[in-house]
Amino acid sequence: MYRYDEFDERLVRERIAQFREMVRRRIDGSLTEEEFTLLRQMNGLYLQLHAYMLRVAIPYGTLSGRQMRQLALIADRYDRGYGHFTTRQNIQYNWPRLRDVPDMLELLADVEMQCIQTSGNCIRNVTADHFAGVAADEIEDPRPTAELIRQWSTLHPEFSFLPRKFKIAVTGSAVDRAAVAVHDIGLRIVADAKGRIGYRVTVGGGLGRTPMIGKPVREFLPREELLPYLEAILRVYNLEGRRDNKYKARVKILVHELGTEAFVARVEEEYARIDRGAVEVDAAEVARIAAYFAPPAFEALPARSEAFEKAARDPDFARFARTNLFPHKAPGYTALTVSLKPIGAPPGDATSDQMRVLADLAERFSADELRVTHVQNIVLPHVRLDDVPEVWAALVEAGLATANSGLVTDIISCPGMDYCKLATARSIPIAQEISRRFADPERERAIGPLGIKISGCINACGHHHVGAIGILGLDKAGVENYQITLGGEPGDLASLGERLGPGIDADEVPAAIERIVDVYLALRTDEAETFIDTVRRVGLDPFKPALQPQEPVRAAA
Amino acid sequence: MAGKRPALPLVLSASDLLDGDVVFHTGAGWDRSLSAALVATDEAGAQRLEAALAEVESGGPVAEPFLFTVTLDPSGAAVPNHYRERIRVCGPTVRHDFGPQAREELSHVSL
Repeated sequence: MYRYDEFDERLVRERIAQFREMVRRRIDGSLTEEEFTLLRQMNGLYLQLHAYMLRVAIPYGTLSGRQMRQLALIADRYDRGYGHFTTRQNIQYNWPRLRDVPDMLELLADVEMQCIQTSGNCIRNVTADHFAGVAADEIEDPRPTAELIRQWSTLHPEFSFLPRKFKIAVTGSAVDRAAVAVHDIGLRIVADAKGRIGYRVTVGGGLGRTPMIGKPVREFLPREELLPYLEAILRVYNLEGRRDNKYKARVKILVHELGTEAFVARVEEEYARIDRGAVEVDAAEVARIAAYFAPPAFEALPARSEAFEKAARDPDFARFARTNLFPHKAPGYTALTVSLKPIGAPPGDATSDQMRVLADLAERFSADELRVTHVQNIVLPHVRLDDVPEVWAALVEAGLATANSGLVTDIISCPGMDYCKLATARSIPIAQEISRRFADPERERAIGPLGIKISGCINACGHHHVGAIGILGLDKAGVENYQITLGGEPGDLASLGERLGPGIDADEVPAAIERIVDVYLALRTDEAETFIDTVRRVGLDPFKPALQPQEPVRAAA
Repeated sequence: MAGKRPALPLVLSASDLLDGDVVFHTGAGWDRSLSAALVATDEAGAQRLEAALAEVESGGPVAEPFLFTVTLDPSGAAVPNHYRERIRVCGPTVRHDFGPQAREELSHVSL
């Protein structure tokens, strides 16, 4: 894992001292709320519906046991004993007090964490594949690239006041698990015919009120050209992106309004002018950063584990192993997904006790590493198959062993109106009710992979546009109303969901989702045809009647 | 204040600067209890709330002040008209142990 050097450490500590002073000046009245808002946002502090909210960056979703334990301590000491893991691979505290925030930041800095650029119109936390360093199909671990971008973009003087926020995601695998197509910049690590490493670069993807799939601007950007090229993209955006209307200020609108070809021409023109030598990072520095992400020393293990196979005679363990394990490139190892989606619970929440359990398990069984996924789960990336039964038993004990990774109850949900000031409707209760409806694990297994994603407003933090089933909560004349979309997909065949029909009331949503799933089960060619495949094959029409209230096709679970 | 004033009766709310708690203008100051809020039922009352809002808009002990419409129930207690404000005065509907609802003084407001 990356370790702070003296510059990182000093920068973060100085920043906290500055923020402490800003808080003091806001409290004593020297700063107006308008002045302070901009400053607190750049330090990750929001004022939400019921309280302040502090968003902590977890760069590319990777953290150590010690860091997770510190997050638990902060939750206990300064919040309400829990935290919320987000689709941006971050954690949010929902109840901090303003005066405490500088002290929270100090505790974070003690474990090399911070909140810089988790809000505001700047380059946000760079996200990456949560199976980085694990997946057998990986060309290269994306995290050294993400870390390089983090260092380059942190407090970048030219890009600290962009027209709007800016999100970059990196994947190093053939299979995209980082949703790069729906980021302002998506980077896919690729190798050319000579085996040289570079990047396929897309620009202008995004969700929100105008969802768009990113457009390719370079099919192969040589590795050493990454930062100068990013600088050219950001400069064009910074100069030409709209500042007259915040809803049209993201780079996707600029790409759309100019047209991809003209946008690329502008970037290439700027790139030709850039003094690349001043921006390029020398190979030694790239190697220094990459060394922090060297894989742990894996033991030479047989591919099969007797202890694992013996444990798999327990049907509960077998179910967990079937859904929550991901193949590891090292024989005898696995990556284990810890679901933060227990049936009926708010998606992404973990108590401080659960965080400590996860920290312990990471230290004992996973080379001291954890990952936060954009699906709002936690991954233990390097677990020996031999150890999975013991890890599972500890997870069962902690209420963390729900066997639903990738299934219908593994729902992404934004906080919605239960916490968020911008929300137009609630999200979490909808997720909870759907989760309860599909609680039967055998039924869930039979349905197979299905991503339900729920947003409580058009800003789409819950990624509803790329949900196989997307749910968007709106305010319809003072009543919560939900639009259902089908056919979204965040990965390699990225697509945006299409609206199934008029919005429906909150209490109709779970039954409608159940009917939609039943239509799929009736129409699929066989168990191998997933929900999204069926939607793509048959289109939306067969699903439309499912929106109408009717007698349930099956008895309620 | 930008935009049109919401319909009467009105309550002025904001977030406490120090801890972010939802607070209401009482006529003399700010209180965490909706039952302590000054409810403006006429033009004079609305103007009084607007003046209080203008006073704290750029600074002071609260942040992000705004007016919202309530209905007075038979006992005379204010109930927010919109579900957003009903959630806001109670706390998260998914965690009844947090927010004002945990103080058990809002039995007259429900979703």
